[in-house]
Amino acid sequence: MTALDQTISELRDAALKALESAATLEAVEAVRVEALGRKGKLAEVSKSFGKLSPEERAQTGKLLNAVKEELETRLEARKAALDSIALEARLESEWIDLTAPAPGARPGSLHPVTQVQQEIEDLFVSLGFAVMDGPEVETEHYNFDALNIPPDHPARDMQDTFWLKDGRLLRTHTSPVQIRALEKLGPPLRMIAPGRVFRNEEVDASHEHTFYQLEGMMVDRDVSVAHLIYFMKTLLSAIFQRDVTVRLRPGFFPFVEPGFELDIQCLICGGAGCPVCKRSGWVELLPCGLVNPAVLRAGGADPEEWNGFAFGLGLTRLAMMRYGIDNIRLFSSGDLRFLKQF
Amino acid sequence: MKFSYNWLREMVQGLETAPTELERWITIKTAECEGVEAHGDDHVIEVDNKSLTHRPDLWGHHGMAREVAAILSHKLLDPVKPVKFPSQPSAVRVIVDDHFLCPRYSALVFSNVKVQPSPDWLQNRLEAVGLNPINNVVDVTNFVMAEIAQPMHAFDSAKLHGDEIRVRPARAGESFAALNGESYTLDAADLVIADADGAIGLAGVIGGAGSAISDATTRIVLESANFNASCIRKTSSRQKLRTDASMRFEKAQDPVNTVRGLERAYELLQQVSPGIRLVGGLADAKRLRAAAAPIRLPLDWLDRKLGRAVPAAEVKRILEALEFHVEEIEPRTFSVTVPSWRATKDVGIKDDLVEEVGRMVGYASITPTAPLTPAHVPYHNAEREFHHRVSEMAAAQGFTEVFNYSFVSEEMVRVFALDLAAHVEVLNPIAADQNLLRSSLLPGIWKNVTDNARHFDSFRLFEIGNQIHPDGEVPHFAAAIYAKDDGAAGLFELKRLAECLLPGVKVRPATDIRHYEHPQRAANLLHGDTPVGRLFELHPKMVEAGRAAVLDLDLAVVQKLEPEAARYRPLRRFPESAFDLSVVAGPRVLIGDVQSALEALAGEALLSIEFLREFALPDGNRSVSYRLTVGAPDRTLAAEEVGAVRSRIIEGIQAAGYQLRV
Repeated sequence: MTALDQTISELRDAALKALESAATLEAVEAVRVEALGRKGKLAEVSKSFGKLSPEERAQTGKLLNAVKEELETRLEARKAALDSIALEARLESEWIDLTAPAPGARPGSLHPVTQVQQEIEDLFVSLGFAVMDGPEVETEHYNFDALNIPPDHPARDMQDTFWLKDGRLLRTHTSPVQIRALEKLGPPLRMIAPGRVFRNEEVDASHEHTFYQLEGMMVDRDVSVAHLIYFMKTLLSAIFQRDVTVRLRPGFFPFVEPGFELDIQCLICGGAGCPVCKRSGWVELLPCGLVNPAVLRAGGADPEEWNGFAFGLGLTRLAMMRYGIDNIRLFSSGDLRFLKQF
Repeated sequence: MKFSYNWLREMVQGLETAPTELERWITIKTAECEGVEAHGDDHVIEVDNKSLTHRPDLWGHHGMAREVAAILSHKLLDPVKPVKFPSQPSAVRVIVDDHFLCPRYSALVFSNVKVQPSPDWLQNRLEAVGLNPINNVVDVTNFVMAEIAQPMHAFDSAKLHGDEIRVRPARAGESFAALNGESYTLDAADLVIADADGAIGLAGVIGGAGSAISDATTRIVLESANFNASCIRKTSSRQKLRTDASMRFEKAQDPVNTVRGLERAYELLQQVSPGIRLVGGLADAKRLRAAAAPIRLPLDWLDRKLGRAVPAAEVKRILEALEFHVEEIEPRTFSVTVPSWRATKDVGIKDDLVEEVGRMVGYASITPTAPLTPAHVPYHNAEREFHHRVSEMAAAQGFTEVFNYSFVSEEMVRVFALDLAAHVEVLNPIAADQNLLRSSLLPGIWKNVTDNARHFDSFRLFEIGNQIHPDGEVPHFAAAIYAKDDGAAGLFELKRLAECLLPGVKVRPATDIRHYEHPQRAANLLHGDTPVGRLFELHPKMVEAGRAAVLDLDLAVVQKLEPEAARYRPLRRFPESAFDLSVVAGPRVLIGDVQSALEALAGEALLSIEFLREFALPDGNRSVSYRLTVGAPDRTLAAEEVGAVRSRIIEGIQAAGYQLRV
């Protein structure tokens, strides 16, 4: 071993020692510059190669390269170790309490009737029904006459009407949209019409002068009671998210013939009888029927060619059933203590 | 309407079905029952009157007995035994002025009447169905009414003037003292029964006090008449007097029934007033409508309507059990004659027969079936879909949906500076101060704010509802943010919401401040030149503690402004350059104006402009900073070109009177 070899070996040991105590990236860089830099110690050593014999030069050159390589590897490893320590320290310092509240407004909510309504709208749209609208201020024609409820018909007693000074009225049901939809789109037609309706009634926990209904109608060739029952079962099974048993019994509504009251088997007692169903096992849910030919004619459809079914669903009542709400007045109270629950 | 089980049993041969079971059958096949109650040795089934609206025949026990007999396949017995009245002139002359209003007026005169309490069986029957026993004569009239739905009335013949009864329109303002002790002022559209002296009865509604039956009565005129349903209903509602008689007549009773009523009453009077004598023959003034033609009922059509096949024999059996007359006129087609008691209004078209057959075979026998119809994409209701999107966006941003009533008071109209004359007014409001239809959602929103401020320190709410104007309805979106702060945050949150709902919406400070608005915090919202709504803070005097920012948008307009389908533009291939500018603006110079000026000056080269910050300078002015990004579509702008744009903007903005902060 030449003296030069000895020097290289010493430089290597010194550099490795310095590297071991280097605690920062700057210190590591300093070690690198001192040992491997262009003006570093190993570069100095290579200047004295001229004094060596060719054999010695080859031998020492080999050693020098090996030391350089080793140092570089060790330098990189040390850097990586320091990087990783620094990252860990940073991450450690970046602790966040994610249980703290998020900034900004809390989510709001849609009115419970809107939620029930949109659910039913989506269901019917998926069954090929259009969603139609009609005005809240209606004419006597659309609200009564066209629906086969002529003046002085006792059926007008069934719905206490808000009359307006200009001779019009606030619609007492969503049924006028049956006529409007027939006029606008003509048969064949499948449509629903949700909306606000008005009855001049004393308000108490179960009566409101303003509430929400959803009208439904299908007009086509040869629409039957069997089709009506099919759609009502589909609708109600989707709403209550279980298979429901329905029954039809006679009900009188001038705009349908035959007319039905549709009951569902009580979901609380399964039909055995309980206070909710007044021990009958059945809960009255919606009026429906085959569209009266007079209504089809009023809407411009020939009843010899077309027929259909229609139904009316009480959205407010459905929301009360779904959420167990015992006071109908809350719906129009604007009270956020109530509305924020949904 | 109350039905006595024992009474029904008298007319349904072999009826053994228990009352509760019978109630269930009636509910499923005929009309909705509301319960069964014991009454002595009888049971009373209560049927919902609303479900009898279309069935004049079911306002008497015989009609219900017919249903029961048909449902349970029993024989129906008729309580009325035909009587051959003497073929001599009646002791009372009846003149009907208008047979449209009174199709038939039948009457009998009896003498040797002894007025006394009815026997117990009769009193019990009446009490069971909710009628008060009075005396034997009146009780018989009520009994017949409850039995065969024919209202009747007995006059004390001694108290009538002259021997003529006239059915005529009342004279306007004519006064009438009724049996119930009340006095009524009549209208020319009311119909009266009159003697030579004046009205002795308000037709179809109530008898007169002057000719009422008393203990001293010995001779009576017994009326059994038929009146126009609409006429009776109008009188009843005009005079605010509903009686057992008027409730029946307004359902359109069967004119054939008047003589049946007299026949039944004659038999009963002989029982309860022994020795009673019929004087003269039957008075019967009538002009009956010709019976309607039979209904043609194709059985295949019937099957298609029901969605199940019903054998022809079964259809015939059902209709005949209900006393329709059925004849097969061609293969699978029936000709159906409607009995007179169903023909007044109830059954007139073949669809009505679908109900008769359907309810009797039972709707439970019909299998639910999906229709075989072509699938098609339904009509697209863009407006409703838009409203759903708006409400979902508002809810996601922290707003809770409220519903407010459509009614407002005149006071609210004044508070919100609305035009009173431009309101639709309710004729019969629920309360005197709820007599107008809302032409703005703001009164409701204000009420929501003040109500909820009692329970919450801060909240957000919104409503989508119709403004109602005389010429139509306009959907609006109104939202409010309430907080106990300086109010600015709420206004900007609402501005952000407006920008989410309508990208490109612009805010212009309002000059027409309304007195419910904070005078320095009100702005119009515009899209281009189109007004779309208003953003303001409620005047602090309207809100006790805290601040309420309000947004009001016209959804009909906003929906129409919804952007067209997006169009792709190629991504920029050439680098762009950006520079910042800080403009010094006076204390109340609008930042929006500064930005517009910068945009206009930058011209075509401007790719984007971004507001960076604003801060107050010591002299009271404000420094407003923007980052402007410029570029060209087909090349990289040279440094000199970018510099030229910048210089142009600086010169221009200075020329416009602003200073630049360097």
